[in-house]
Order: sequence, then C-alpha cells, then structure tokens
Amino acid sequence: MTSALNRVLKQTRGLPGEYPLISLFIAFQIVFLMAPTIVILLVSFDGSTSVSFPPDSLSLRWYLELPNQSQYMDAFGRSVIAATICTALGIPIGVLTALGLMRYDIRFKKPLQIYFLLPFTVPLVVSGVILLIIFGNTGVIGNLWTVGLALTIINIPFMIWSVTSRVNALDPELESAAENLGAEEIQRFIHVTIPSILPGVLTGALIMFILGLNEFIVSLIITTPDIVTLPVQLYTAIRSSISPLIAAVASIYIIVAFITVFVADWLVGLDEVLTS
Amino acid sequence: MDTAIGAKKRLPTWLYRSPPDQFGYLLLVPGILLVGFLFVGMLYLARYSVLTFDPVDFVTNSLTLANWHELLTEPAYYGIFFRTVWMAALITVLSVAFAFPYAYLTIRVNSSIVRKLLLVSVFVPFFTGIIVRTYGWLIILGQNGLVNNTLGVFGLGPIRFIGTPLAVMIGLLQIMIPYSIVMLAPAIQTIDESLEKAAMNLGANRIATFRHVILPLALPGIAGASIVVFTITSATFAIPGILGGGQVDLMANLIFKTLFSQANYPLAAVFSLSLVFVTSMIVFVIFTRVGTGTLGIETGGNHD
Repeated sequence: MTSALNRVLKQTRGLPGEYPLISLFIAFQIVFLMAPTIVILLVSFDGSTSVSFPPDSLSLRWYLELPNQSQYMDAFGRSVIAATICTALGIPIGVLTALGLMRYDIRFKKPLQIYFLLPFTVPLVVSGVILLIIFGNTGVIGNLWTVGLALTIINIPFMIWSVTSRVNALDPELESAAENLGAEEIQRFIHVTIPSILPGVLTGALIMFILGLNEFIVSLIITTPDIVTLPVQLYTAIRSSISPLIAAVASIYIIVAFITVFVADWLVGLDEVLTS
Repeated sequence: MDTAIGAKKRLPTWLYRSPPDQFGYLLLVPGILLVGFLFVGMLYLARYSVLTFDPVDFVTNSLTLANWHELLTEPAYYGIFFRTVWMAALITVLSVAFAFPYAYLTIRVNSSIVRKLLLVSVFVPFFTGIIVRTYGWLIILGQNGLVNNTLGVFGLGPIRFIGTPLAVMIGLLQIMIPYSIVMLAPAIQTIDESLEKAAMNLGANRIATFRHVILPLALPGIAGASIVVFTITSATFAIPGILGGGQVDLMANLIFKTLFSQANYPLAAVFSLSLVFVTSMIVFVIFTRVGTGTLGIETGGNHD
C-alpha cells in the first residue's frame, strides 16, 4: 500500500502538475466531482428509514425493497425503452449525416454544420417547450415514442460528432487503395469504411444511450403522468422526501455509469473518448 | 463483377463521378429532418410570442407585443433573466478555470494510475445524470447533511445552504466541470509539448509559457467549453429548483412555471426566445472571434 502510494507520488513529481498547489487543487476537484456519487452509494446501504450521514446501520433492505416499488421499476423500464429508441434512431441518422458531411463535396457545408449544432445551441428547456408545442399540436403527446424521438433530436450531435472524429481519422489512402484494387463503392463501404468508423459509432451509441437514460428537463416537460421516465419520477420523489429508498434507486444510475465508463475504457479507451 | 467493372470503365466518367455528390445531400436528409423539429419549433415560438394570452381560451390569435413588454417591465421577470445571465457567465469562467489544469494534467501525466483516476472522476459524474447528482448534494448540504453534521461535531452550525445561491453554484459547477474538461482536452492534446520546452529553453518562465504558448493554442477548447457551459447553465432547471429551493430560480424554472401553473404559452415563448437570444449572442461572438473550436464538426479536407 505504502509502496504503491510512493510510486504514485514519485510519478506525479516531475510532471507538469508538479506544483504542489496545483496538485492539491486537482485532488480537491476529484473529491468535489465524486462526492455526490459516493455519498449516495453510502446512504443507499443505510438501514434506517431516514437519511443521515454517516449511515446509522448498514443493510441491503432498500435494494431488496426495489423490486416491489412498481412506480420506480415501471419508470426505469420506460427510460430504457426511450433510450433504446433514441440510440436506434441515432445510429443510422448520425452515421449518414457524418458521412454526408465528411465524404462528399457538398455546398453550404458551413451553414449545415451550424444547423446540426442547433440541438446544442438551443437551450434544453426551450427544446422541451418546442417539442411540447409540436407534439401537443399534432396530438401525439403522451406516447412513449415521442420521448425517444425527443431524446434523439437533442442528443444527435454526440453521434455525428463521434462518427465524424473517426471519419477524420480514416485514411483516405485506404479507400483509394481499395478503389485501385477494383473495389466498388458498396464494397469499399462495407469492407473499409464501416470497420474504421465502428469504434466511433459504438462510442456515440453508448453516449446517446446513457444520456437518454439520464435525460431530465425535456422529459419533464413532454411526459404525461403515465409515461414519466425514471429521472422525472426521482425528481418528484426528491421534492417530497429524501428517504434512503431514493438513494437505492439513484444508485442504479451510478452503477450504470461505472459500468459505462469501464465498457468505454475497454472499447476505445477513456483517453480516446476524452480527446476525440 | 469483372464485367460490371468493365462496363463501368466504358461509360463516360461524369456518369459515376457526379452522382456521389448528389448522394451526399441524400445522406443528410434524415438528419436535416430530425433537427428540423427544433428549427420549425423556433418559428412556432416566434409566432406564439406575439399571440394574446387569455385566461379562459389560453391563446387567442390577435397579435400583440404585450408579452415582450411584460418581460422588459416586470422586475420579477427581468430580475430572473439577469440572474440567469450573470450566473451562467460566472459558472462558465469558474468551470473553465477549474477544468484547465485538470485537463492539462490528464493529457500530460506519465503515471497511468493517476491518469485513470482523473479520467474515471470525469466520466462517472458525466454519465450519472443531473437529478442523481443534485440528490447527492442535497444529502451533503442539507439541514442534517454531511457538512452540517461535521460542523456539529465541532459545535458549529448548522448553516443553511439549501435555498442559497452558493448551493446552486456548487451544484452547477460539479455538473459543468466535466463538460469543460471534455471540451478542453482535445485542444490541449494538439499542443506540441516540444513547443512548451522550446519556450522554456528560450528563457520563458512557466507563466509566460502558459500565456504565450499554451493558452493561445488551447483557445479552440476554451471556446468550445464556454459555449457548452454557458448554454447548458443558462437553461438549467433541476439544480436551482432543488438546491435553490425556489429562492434562486433561473429562466428554466420561470418558463416551467409559466407553462404549467399559468398555461401562459405566449409568455413562456417570450421567455424561451429571450434565453435563445442570449445564448445565440454568446455563441455568435465566440464563433466569429475564435471559430467553432472543439465544438465544430471539422471538415475532412483541412485535416491533412
């Protein structure tokens, strides 16, 4: 333990962050960033009926209670469905858009790029109001698929973005080599283009799914009481009480987040996700 | 296959050379339609913003500027508007300042253990969602929370955090720092370390190296981070709603109340458009001065 710590300390020295104040500042940030997550995990194992910190006693009772809590289980199921719709729509649309923007010599490229950033530049609450009006006027509001569609609209830039970064990395030489060897457009697409953009597609899909699972404000605005998703359900619950049961529900998200991080690390590497 | 290729070779080039470009437009159609919801929706909002609110019929079709007038003259409304703008600006500056050394160290650190710790501490919060993290802060900052219990041990407190701007800012910063790090990292990645070494060899100290080498080269990242953080912060709902306890409402809370407590769609449209106006101004200024930064979808050609 001490030797590991020494090794870390030795390696952290002689770094750009060698200044003790800066290192301390970053250590503080790690604690700051992780604090809410860790606290929820701890509280979820609290055996008593009220939230106190540190927990009075440790137990799994709230986790065992979860399957009986149909309002949370149903909301979780709806969140998974909405996030799945969002990912399923996002993959083809994102890939086509990225290829169209990158691989073809099209006019109005700059305005189109700005157009595709609209979901980022329009504040989420405004997107919610817009979709409430559109879905309300067309009478489709209250269907779960509208939530999935809304999630696709607001998160599509993440997909376009992560595919684009792979298309950028894709060596055009490879494609022309395939062409010189007589490969047709469709063969090049299947054997050269798809394999090289696949990591980008997977990263984008993962990000869209997790963001879809967590999305709150747009869902709050456009869901009717019988299609609320889990974040909306949690929000309502937090406003009335902060029982450890909610911490157990919230822990599902934290566990999903940890799994996602490990999967992303294994798929493409976290540094790759950070810098692409 | 050979005959097909042979046949193709005999055809004039333009037959199979030009379609790909048309094909490119075709590929963009689904994406354009999808984002079209927001584009069309903005036009809807513009129309709603000049309709008349009626407590009985909700919306009548007579045109009026009364809703805009209300935003500009009602102190409760423009007060929230200005609070939103300054808070978003403050959070943008703070989160970029916090994220910069963090992102820099993550890119440059030699130790793989430290790098992994830094990366996990960014991505776990990033993927945890706003409600869950806000709930965590409620446990930490609440009346009987972690901080107040700790203070109690020393016979201090309790301090009331919930309902103060400080609690809202803590919650917002924790959400925005990971976004800033994610936007800054690609720009910092592209800085050639030998440039920094060269500057130092030529006698520049760390501060001068930072100002004249690192900062200018990281500018696209700072631009991207500022746009993302400002836009998200100015539209945030859950954190002021829960940690602000209704005392520190921002525009999103006002829009929500106007929409669901008063069913006043025209006024909600005005608030929405005013929010879009501010964020677009910020985005526009940054785009024209620095470019799209790390937010931009780079075009393949310029990359080589």
